[in-house]
Amino acid sequence: MTLQTHPSSEGGLARGLSSPLQPFDIGHPSHIAVVEPDTAFWGLVRKDKLSEALAGGPLLDTYHAQADNFRREMEMLRFGLKPSAVYFNPTERCNLNCSYCYIPEPMRRSGQQMDQATVLDALERLHGYFRGHMPEGRLPQVIFHGAEPLLSRTAIFAGIEAYGDRFRFGLQTNATLLDESALSFLTERGVGVGLSLDGPNPGVADRTRRRWNGDGVFDHVVRALDRLDGYPGYNVICTMTEANLPHLTEMVEFLHARRVPAGMLNVTRCTLPRARGVRGDDDRVAKAYIAALERTHQLYRTSGRKLVVANFANILIAILAPTARRLMCDISPCGGGRSFFALAPDGDLFPCSEFIGLPAFSGGNLFRQPIEEILNAPAFRRVTGRRVEDVPGCDGCPIRHFCGSPCPAEAYEMNGGMGQKGAFCRFYEEQVRYALRLIADGRHEDFLWDGWDDGTVPSCAIGAA
Amino acid sequence: MTPKTDSKPSAPAAKPRPEVIAIRKTCDAEGTGLSHYVLMDKEVKR
Repeated sequence: MTLQTHPSSEGGLARGLSSPLQPFDIGHPSHIAVVEPDTAFWGLVRKDKLSEALAGGPLLDTYHAQADNFRREMEMLRFGLKPSAVYFNPTERCNLNCSYCYIPEPMRRSGQQMDQATVLDALERLHGYFRGHMPEGRLPQVIFHGAEPLLSRTAIFAGIEAYGDRFRFGLQTNATLLDESALSFLTERGVGVGLSLDGPNPGVADRTRRRWNGDGVFDHVVRALDRLDGYPGYNVICTMTEANLPHLTEMVEFLHARRVPAGMLNVTRCTLPRARGVRGDDDRVAKAYIAALERTHQLYRTSGRKLVVANFANILIAILAPTARRLMCDISPCGGGRSFFALAPDGDLFPCSEFIGLPAFSGGNLFRQPIEEILNAPAFRRVTGRRVEDVPGCDGCPIRHFCGSPCPAEAYEMNGGMGQKGAFCRFYEEQVRYALRLIADGRHEDFLWDGWDDGTVPSCAIGAA
Repeated sequence: MTPKTDSKPSAPAAKPRPEVIAIRKTCDAEGTGLSHYVLMDKEVKR
């Protein structure tokens, strides 16, 4: 029997005879993956046993016994959720001019900003909405984001103080305004703090993240990292660009040495044209990214301390337990407009912060319309209705539910429409291959945070040590 | 958002791996994160 397993596909992998399982070459010396795309059911099979596994045995038996359950599970994950988080942008303004920002420059220079009364009014309306459907004991999340949310420090701190028992709060900041009193306020209240840093030294980090006058801010971020040492709820986002790809391994060493518990190594979101000028090539990004992940593993093996790369951990979880995923970019429809939405300073709601610079994607206004009505607006339905199986090139891809062809904003602005792929197809494919190789080697748990599967139950465990 | 950072590394996977591996776990879906913010665990434990 001859089986085609196109080693690098961007979709369109061949199906093995009449089996529902599609072979997917992962570049592993002994094992190959097989995937049923619609249910995201997968197995790893020794290469010399592939024909046998596709013809029958425990893998197919499990699939046939559980396919309906797996299908329902994916249906719920993809179409059955209600929003439980809001990315709250209290200001359009920023004191930095980073090269890949998805917020247009005029907005960041002199855009709108909420005052304290408006922040409190917005939180009250959001509370009223979430209270209607959130289960008891689970708090909705408000992430203050931007632009730079600490430009509205007084207003958002008043919101955190007033609504601390009704939301779980987080803050993503460039750290330039994160002084001692701000850190004390946030950490005493258990607010999650995300920092942005693109390199292990000023020479690298300041290439992409700079003030309007060109000055770098590396030193500010390092001071904040030092102050946050020991706080469990902080992390660092590093955006991978051509400017820092050769330094990614050094970057994870830097973060690990500072005992940062978690971070992200994000691809450059190419929604705005300027960002496309610094994006890395897919293959170069994948190579540097996987090398950095391997370095985190070495550091864990030698120190016993993990630096969890959260976006990669989420890909592993998407494979191991699809419904346990935390990040909702790598699934289709993405989480934009259905598991979270974004609030702009003028009260307009967008499916995701990534759309805030695209007025056509405003679904309505928080201060003038019910949120339920906005979630059903055509602007939202364009995003919540984007299904990866409808995207040419993804429709035949076996790993489409481990990727989701992100991001719809990119697809729309860069590639000609919602029905197109997002950026970084080959990168996502290589990322999934690497994740499956780790599972084949039994190393995957080393890349996940302890307790990641609390609350899950096994639905399939073949060869799981 | 609270990975424990002092867990002991698991033993290296030196022994031969099974011929067939398939793992799947299930739970209620609660994902709310996006790539603009690290959202891993369900609560900041203080």
